[in-house]
Amino acid sequence: MSFLRVAAAVARKDLRTELRSRETLPALGQFVVLALLIANFGFDVETGGAKVAPGVLWLTVTFAGLVAFGRTFASERDQASLEPLLLTPASRSAIFAGKALAAALVLVACEVVLVPALGLFFNTPVFSLELAAALVLATIGMAGLGCLFAALAAQTRARDLLLPVLALPLWVPFVVVGGRAVQVALGGGGSLNGALALLLDFDILFVVVASLAAKFVLDD
Amino acid sequence: MKAIEAAGLRQRFGTRTVLGPLDLSLESGDSLAVLGENGSGKTTLLRLLATAARPAGGELRLFGLDATRERTELRRRIGYLGDVAGHYPALSALENLEFFCDLQGVERARAPRLLEQVGLAAVARRRAGQLSRGMAQRLGLARALLHAPELLVLDEPDAGLDEEGRGLLEKLVEGRSLVLATHDRQLAGQLCRHTLDLSQRALEAYQ
Repeated sequence: MSFLRVAAAVARKDLRTELRSRETLPALGQFVVLALLIANFGFDVETGGAKVAPGVLWLTVTFAGLVAFGRTFASERDQASLEPLLLTPASRSAIFAGKALAAALVLVACEVVLVPALGLFFNTPVFSLELAAALVLATIGMAGLGCLFAALAAQTRARDLLLPVLALPLWVPFVVVGGRAVQVALGGGGSLNGALALLLDFDILFVVVASLAAKFVLDD
Repeated sequence: MKAIEAAGLRQRFGTRTVLGPLDLSLESGDSLAVLGENGSGKTTLLRLLATAARPAGGELRLFGLDATRERTELRRRIGYLGDVAGHYPALSALENLEFFCDLQGVERARAPRLLEQVGLAAVARRRAGQLSRGMAQRLGLARALLHAPELLVLDEPDAGLDEEGRGLLEKLVEGRSLVLATHDRQLAGQLCRHTLDLSQRALEAYQ
């Protein structure tokens, strides 16, 4: 039973479930647009739109991520399917990888709505390869950590409170470096390659740590 | 070979002991019905035997393997149906089984065969969330049998099943080691050679 077969099966199952039940994606898309709309009224977009846009972008990604990653294990708990899943001999790390991949893809789908909406409200470029690279790299690492804590939080009653408390402090590096990368991508000064390389380093570190820790978190 | 060997098996939730200490032995190919009133520890015992929980004390060996240390190997050899079936409601009956084929490392071709065996071939493409209680229970039985387990652990497997389903249950468990929890003494007598009564009255009489 290969790692890839299990991870692909879990990711395919989660994505198929999401596409059919439409539990998370429509709500997240709506949240993203509403968050930008509120920020549009809260900030002086005429004179400083490009300056606040990276901050608004990362705040929106962070809160959308909490919802997207939180649902990965909470839905298994709610429908009592976590126990049958964990009573198979499949590798815990492979199950975790599949769930993190599916959740990351859901968040990327949200970002596909977010970036053009940001352009609309804050006059930023709608298509930017650099911006896309920064978002995807940050999403990978955030998904690794977010799903790990979501698995942990799903075992408690206060999971909705616990997930932000656990995940947000460890997402800070992604927000700081991702914010810098987006500032550069939107025309600010600094080194884009340096920021992207740092995001890649964080991805490798946190994805490896999360995969190793998942083995213990998913074992009762 | 013994399918189950338990010595001084105990389970505790917080400071409350909910099961045991219990000694238990079952030969491979033999069958045991666990009886008892609500809260007597039937589901707790079954979850320990299915490796879904770790015991608080005592020793548990399944097929000669330590049930707390060699759980991955044991999970290839045990089929478990809990008190809640736990299907994915947005996936069809067939997709549910195919998913578990991938996780158990068995061919996907087993999924339609199992659906046929449990009498669900006609609703293979129907979403699990739209199945009746009895159909969902049959699907749970199919999932438990997917990897041809040597030991079947079933928690109230007759819940929601009609007469035909109960007859089917008898056929499906044939030739395997079996532990089931039930309130139905008639079903226990039909399917199992041995019984274990966990009710307070039975334990007091024993002591």
